[in-house]
Amino acid sequence: MKIQKIQNTSIDSVVKTLESGGLVIMPTETVYGAFVDATNKKAVEKLTKFKSRPFGKPYSVAVADQEMASRYVFLNKMAKRLYKNFLPGPLTIISKGKHKVAEGVESESGTLGIRIPNHKFVLEVVRKFNKPITATSANPSYKKRPYSVDDILNNISVKQRKCIDLIIDAGELPKNEPSTVIDTTSEDLTILRQGDIKFSRKNEVVSRSPENTQNIAKELWQKYEQYLGSRSIVFALEGEMGAGKTIFTKGLAKAVGVKETITSPTYDLEHIYYINGKRVFVHIDTWRMQDPEEFDDLSFDKRILDKSIIVLEWADKVHNKIRRYAEDALIVWVKISYGKRSNERLINWTTL
Amino acid sequence: MTILAIDTSCDETAAAITKETKVMSNVIWSQASLHAKFGGVVPSLAQRHHEEKIDWVISRAIKKARTGFNEINAIAVTVGPGLAIALEVGIRKAKEFSNKYNLPIIPVNHVEAHLFSPLAISSSLQQEAGLSTLKFPVYGLVVSGGNTLFVLARKFGEYKILAKTSDDALGEALDKGARMLGLGYPGGAVLERFARQGNPLAYKLPIPLSGQEKRMVFSYSGLKTALYRLISKQKEENLDKKIICDLAASYQYTAFQHIYRVIDFYLSSLPEPDASKLFIGGGVTANLEFRKTIRGLCKKHKIKAFFPYSKKLYTDNAAMVGVCAFLREKHLGNSYVNQGLIDRVPNLQLP
Repeated sequence: MKIQKIQNTSIDSVVKTLESGGLVIMPTETVYGAFVDATNKKAVEKLTKFKSRPFGKPYSVAVADQEMASRYVFLNKMAKRLYKNFLPGPLTIISKGKHKVAEGVESESGTLGIRIPNHKFVLEVVRKFNKPITATSANPSYKKRPYSVDDILNNISVKQRKCIDLIIDAGELPKNEPSTVIDTTSEDLTILRQGDIKFSRKNEVVSRSPENTQNIAKELWQKYEQYLGSRSIVFALEGEMGAGKTIFTKGLAKAVGVKETITSPTYDLEHIYYINGKRVFVHIDTWRMQDPEEFDDLSFDKRILDKSIIVLEWADKVHNKIRRYAEDALIVWVKISYGKRSNERLINWTTL
Repeated sequence: MTILAIDTSCDETAAAITKETKVMSNVIWSQASLHAKFGGVVPSLAQRHHEEKIDWVISRAIKKARTGFNEINAIAVTVGPGLAIALEVGIRKAKEFSNKYNLPIIPVNHVEAHLFSPLAISSSLQQEAGLSTLKFPVYGLVVSGGNTLFVLARKFGEYKILAKTSDDALGEALDKGARMLGLGYPGGAVLERFARQGNPLAYKLPIPLSGQEKRMVFSYSGLKTALYRLISKQKEENLDKKIICDLAASYQYTAFQHIYRVIDFYLSSLPEPDASKLFIGGGVTANLEFRKTIRGLCKKHKIKAFFPYSKKLYTDNAAMVGVCAFLREKHLGNSYVNQGLIDRVPNLQLP
């Protein structure tokens, strides 16, 4: 492993390391990223080992420009518009892949996330390398976001350290959010992770009965169902006592295929249901937790890795804890509030 | 038959020694135990960190019963329903002692244990006193923070669920009502104190599923919502102590009326001819008004109500687990289960 100051590093030396299958850590406009040749299977395996994450979770890649992107993915109208308006910049755009990258880079459903970093050094490297390189944050799964080389080195094992070939040190980076991740493969644009680029939209409906609330939950499920299997789907519910969080969960569970009656998990904290004996539907209630730390006792990491469907009541209490999983799960924030009339509820949701 | 019983199904860390249906000791870890000697180890205050408390609770149960492992014949442990990570601690401990002292393990269903908790008797009583009340079929009612269940037990291990909650448990609904009224958590007991000073008919809250008793379902989500609305409205005017007492009394009254009506419907329309007893267990049993309501109901239908003899048997505890394990062995036999087969079952149902 070699650490070099950015001002002393030539673009050619980085390109050479990448060409020989090496793992390079470089600064970007967001965080330090871990880069390997995205078309080299061995190099990608090395990266997976470094990130210590399960095989099957896709990587986004960095390219130099839209032309280069179009060699690897199909760009639809929506994607082209986003490229034009936001790239280079902290935005990852998911499109349908052309299967020209190494196995494990595209998602199981064949989509690929592309990013054009707004960072001169990295852009020059990609341009010269003339192939996409993986663009993932340089921290192992669930560890601190890397804003400095120390953030990385202090949080990894000797084994992980051995995976790194070259580190380009640009000192402490400004604390910018990771890139916003947008999926353009479905009919309407879905934000999978919120960064500094924000796309605002108002999703709000009025429910006039418990049955109505259940149906809204079902419709919401149908909207995001396509991500089932590729990542965990978390419905983070907020709303006052008696607003209908458990009622909403009942509708969701029915839509997902849970056969049992959903009852309040307030006392047990967590109820687990199996769908066809296989996929897991987890219903968590944080109301009785005196301390958000108690949430960590529930093996939430594992539920996310298992790509479970998770419903969380009183999610506002563990807001920051859930945010940590923004990269690995689709998080749908649902807020239920009392309306003017006695049976009315306002339900709004966002994936931001 | 002397049993060491362990229960770590959710919040409480509990251990007990039972002899047949006699409770020799019944220890529940509490904040107060902190002041007792703790062998130099100060456990985390987090309620559900059983790991740090279980050894102390078990050794205390053994000591209080003035017994030792040489006199214990079996270990009973709750395997469900409950919180997986919590159940696991008790089960691991049971296996550890089972190996160390070569004792068989009897896995116990927590809800079944609540159901038969009225059979537990004080160690000063004659042995037969508890068991003589057990003649099947019997009705059972478990009302706690996690369960609200009305069943018919045809015999030990064979239950017909007559009604259960479709959303909140009764104890949970009382706790949440207390919180809404600003009485803290867990507030069920505080709510009862305020309710005693209030007028239960001061506010008209909708009795859940009124007129739909034949559905045989308990539900508290609507009542909770109604209380929320009522409190919001009152806040605009004035919310003094008298109003809080009246609200508490009305809410509690309505919550109990719902249970009363559902069970009353069943006993009036399709009662089991041979069942003449109702066993009641679970934390809500501690509520005097609730007991009064149930007694009135039983009187009307000429059946006898049985409540646990001690307060410590109402909420989660291990003595009821020991008693239940004994009953299982007595009625079904073969209750010892191979260690390897014992595992937590967070969503265990009644058989």
